[in-house]
Amino acid sequence: MNGETRARAGSGVPRMGVLKSLLFGLPMMLLTALLITGGQAVPKDPLLLVSVALTWVFFNVSFFRMLTTGRTFALRSTLFIAMAVGFVITFTTALVSARGSLALSGADVIQGKTPFCHLVIPAVILPGIITRTIVFPGSLVGTFASIGSMFVIWIGATLALGKAWCSWICFFGGLDEGFSRIGRKPRIRSISRAWTYLPFAVLVAVVLISAVSLSPFYCEWLCPFKSVTEFPAVTSSLVLVQTVIFVALFLALVVVLPLLMKRRAQCGLFCPFGAFQSFANGITAFDIRIDPGACTECGLCVRTCPTFSLTEESVKAGKTLITCTRCGKCIDVCPAGAASYHVKGTGPGASRTAARVLFLMPAFLFLSAFGGGMISTALWRLLKLATTGSMF
Amino acid sequence: MQALLLGLASGVTCLAYCAPVLVPLVLGESRGAARSFGLVGQFLLGRLAGYLLFGFAAWATGRLVATADVHGGLAFGVTYVVLAVLLILYGVLRPRRVCAGGGERTRRFLARWPAALPAGLGFLTGVNICPPFLLAFAGAAGSSSVWGSLLFFLLFFVGTSVYVLPVAFAGAFSRFHAASLVGRLAAVCIGLYYLYVGVMLVATEVAL
Repeated sequence: MNGETRARAGSGVPRMGVLKSLLFGLPMMLLTALLITGGQAVPKDPLLLVSVALTWVFFNVSFFRMLTTGRTFALRSTLFIAMAVGFVITFTTALVSARGSLALSGADVIQGKTPFCHLVIPAVILPGIITRTIVFPGSLVGTFASIGSMFVIWIGATLALGKAWCSWICFFGGLDEGFSRIGRKPRIRSISRAWTYLPFAVLVAVVLISAVSLSPFYCEWLCPFKSVTEFPAVTSSLVLVQTVIFVALFLALVVVLPLLMKRRAQCGLFCPFGAFQSFANGITAFDIRIDPGACTECGLCVRTCPTFSLTEESVKAGKTLITCTRCGKCIDVCPAGAASYHVKGTGPGASRTAARVLFLMPAFLFLSAFGGGMISTALWRLLKLATTGSMF
Repeated sequence: MQALLLGLASGVTCLAYCAPVLVPLVLGESRGAARSFGLVGQFLLGRLAGYLLFGFAAWATGRLVATADVHGGLAFGVTYVVLAVLLILYGVLRPRRVCAGGGERTRRFLARWPAALPAGLGFLTGVNICPPFLLAFAGAAGSSSVWGSLLFFLLFFVGTSVYVLPVAFAGAFSRFHAASLVGRLAAVCIGLYYLYVGVMLVATEVAL
């Protein structure tokens, strides 16, 4: 873990007593049980039962510790990284089980078997308005990762959390967050502010080119996560070029740059969905406030914000930039306790603890809803591998 | 009348083809409503020039469509490459913080002829084929006189421009420095895409 995170002095940390934490944790225990099991009965497969139980304990201990310690970032980050790794294991093994390969064939595309993910959402909206057609080779409803279900979840989560999606729900973000947390010191300490506008430029380009080509341009050419999920079967030199681009972007943005900068390079410097989601921050009830009176202007939050969402100017103004993902890092590292979760419309005298718990409850529930099944299934696959020699 | 209705009916598609070039330009360049509409106007004039050129070509030879089947790919590929180079140069030459150095002569030229860039980009999008454009071309080719053909493309241009004009409102965002920078960076991204499209068209044509 980053030394700066541990070094937090924490004069203003909204910690909670054990009994009170248990009281708040109780509904979370029930809800996470429901979400992790998917509302099904207790599994009969002993390995699956162990996986589900371990996942449930992992989530609830994390939530309980969030309340009692007042720390958010490190505990959230561990769950977030586990969700991303769990997603990759769950998704790839499910594809191999169903199709026998991770490679997406032309027949799969024609039959609309391509799973839909949230990263495509900005690219399909404008072509959808122009042509009244979803330009994605997936199924609208009724199948695994259908377009309709993803849109419904996305709208609900966006209204509740805005861009907090990127640090609490996105099942890809944990990969570059994971690499950004390896090592102690950043090799690249600062970059030009101009590069932090690149996600918005990529967003403009992706939306407009998707409208021209009537195809999900980001999926076809720019998604780094194709490298660890599914990818088009390499049947021509064109697909080979696309595959090289996917791998190169993954290595550069998800592995190398996060290792060198100790920041989320893919999320903060490239992801068009993240840029699109930034605009939703204005409609949510929560934000992060910085008390200029308490701030000592040490600049620690600006230097360590994983998504480049703080500048000296924004700190002086007492707020984050619109790209803030509410990951909690600035709150945890601030030695003066000047940063805190905040409910919009409440004054300076409002309870920090109440604001934090009000934010954590929905954020954690969405994290459990997405990550619970992914982590428990991945654990089950790994336990099967360990006990039978096969994941299937 | 047929040309105007065709333009109105297919203008949204035309907007989709023009927006990748025009939106970054308006975001990056415009300062205030007058400047925004000025930019869109210069772009549309360039586009009109491209349309009229095709109107003339459609009349001049009825064989042009058939000829385009043979050599069209090469011509449009080169057009895409030029368009891409212009977009990339536009994106990287001005903001020195992103990419310093180079292009002093181009900068001087653009300072002296500020309308050249939007009009040039408009012309290059105007001489590129999109589906509604093919319909217009077919309609104009059936005209018996050069003036009839030019009028057809002029009315088609008027119909489609109705959808392009609102792009000027994107200039409202350009008062923010960030939006201007985003426009320039997007121009580079879109330029790279058009460069790929152009190179592939040329390569396909050369390989045939």
